[in-house]
Amino acid sequence: MSFISEQDTRFAPLWDRIRSHPFLLETRDGTIPDEVFATWLRQDYLFVEAAIPFIGALIPRAPTEHWGPLSGVISALEKELKLFEERAARVGVQLRGAPPSFTCHAYIQFLLATAHTRGYAEGFAVLYAAERAYHESWQVVQEGIAADSPWVPFVENWAGEEFAGYVGYLGGELEKLAGEAGPAERARMGELYRLALLYEVAFWEMAYGADGWPGVEDDLAGEAGAGPAWNPDTGTTPEKAWTHMNPQSSAGEEGTDR
Amino acid sequence: MSRTFTDELHDAARPIWDAQLAHPFVTGIGDGTLPESTFSRWVVQDYGYLKEFARIFAWAVAKAQRLEAMGWYAKVLDLTLNTEMELHRRYAQRFGIATGELESAEMWPTTRAYTDFLVRTAADGDMADLLAALLPCAWGYVDIGQELARRPPPEDERYRDWIEQYASEEFAGAAAWLRGELDRLADGSSEEKRARLRHLFLLSSRYELRFWDMCLEGERWEGGTDK
Repeated sequence: MSFISEQDTRFAPLWDRIRSHPFLLETRDGTIPDEVFATWLRQDYLFVEAAIPFIGALIPRAPTEHWGPLSGVISALEKELKLFEERAARVGVQLRGAPPSFTCHAYIQFLLATAHTRGYAEGFAVLYAAERAYHESWQVVQEGIAADSPWVPFVENWAGEEFAGYVGYLGGELEKLAGEAGPAERARMGELYRLALLYEVAFWEMAYGADGWPGVEDDLAGEAGAGPAWNPDTGTTPEKAWTHMNPQSSAGEEGTDR
Repeated sequence: MSRTFTDELHDAARPIWDAQLAHPFVTGIGDGTLPESTFSRWVVQDYGYLKEFARIFAWAVAKAQRLEAMGWYAKVLDLTLNTEMELHRRYAQRFGIATGELESAEMWPTTRAYTDFLVRTAADGDMADLLAALLPCAWGYVDIGQELARRPPPEDERYRDWIEQYASEEFAGAAAWLRGELDRLADGSSEEKRARLRHLFLLSSRYELRFWDMCLEGERWEGGTDK
């Protein structure tokens, strides 16, 4: 049994929970409360920002044939940030300055601690789980979202063919890594895969509820502003983020020819 | 005496630290009213925490510049892994918690997030970052232990031992040494760097407070399935 099908069998309830989450269904149906979506937007922006050092920290341990694709992921994430900025400006959401929620902060620490202290295959399992969760989640939204919804560009980004190709590539590589791993390493990969899915569930939950921190309220904003200062460029349509990751697309240029 | 950088950190975190001292979990240890089943959560979660906490000292050995500091961190690492964890296992037995249970217990979300935060900071920060993130635990427990030790002791011997350990000279000495190191490293650093250190110190302080909340209320992973 392949590593991924093994995990999917084990964690089927988690996948069900992700795919049937009200956040996705309400985004699809256009009934999601503005503030709920805005919370997600701000927090996921912070998360995507932090995914860049996560990928960066994986690269030194990656086999050389992964360097090109992983560098491509970083470029894609930068373009995703632009997409967030453009969409937020379009609907009048103040994107920057929100402190990370507990769940967002925890998920980011999980990514970075994994990249820094675990083996490459374990980090890769987390990357795959997170990216596939985005893909599957936005596929749910895709099936029935109104054409004029402001969130269609997110659907196109994560449910589109380019991203599907990228997730497929990650899955193939993850199977190779799992095939080379011994039973103990494979078990650790499975455990981290599970944690990533738990964080995915928690992230959707967070958009709806109180997910605050105890104590004083004024000192976490520094973390939010800690990223590089991209200039929101809201006048133009953002570039498609994942086109260059996919060999089928005309812009394909990275070494993903497999 | 002039105020040190860690005095400033303490001032900045005071509302959080005060909330810890007033936390029902902490006061419940102090007056012995905390139910054993509630305290047991701390015993189990702190074991998982301690394992990762030890890892931070391993990073500290690698990042320290002075031989004396390297030796000091190596000693703490040794003590944590080879003495303190054994003491913790024995302490857990007094609550009927077997070692196997400690080893196999899943970290709850707050424990997981806090330890990942520490490990991540130790890995990609510098020595001062590491110390700023670590101090709210090392120093905070002494603060709590000493405060509780000033109050009438609880009847339950196990809670008395808990207070005694964290109020001990040994723990206080270690916390003071760590503070001295951070003061030394922060001396002359830019305001930007100090702000970063303050931020890390406050984050760990928040995690400390959240840890008490977690132990008092219990916590679970939303959607959590079997391991």
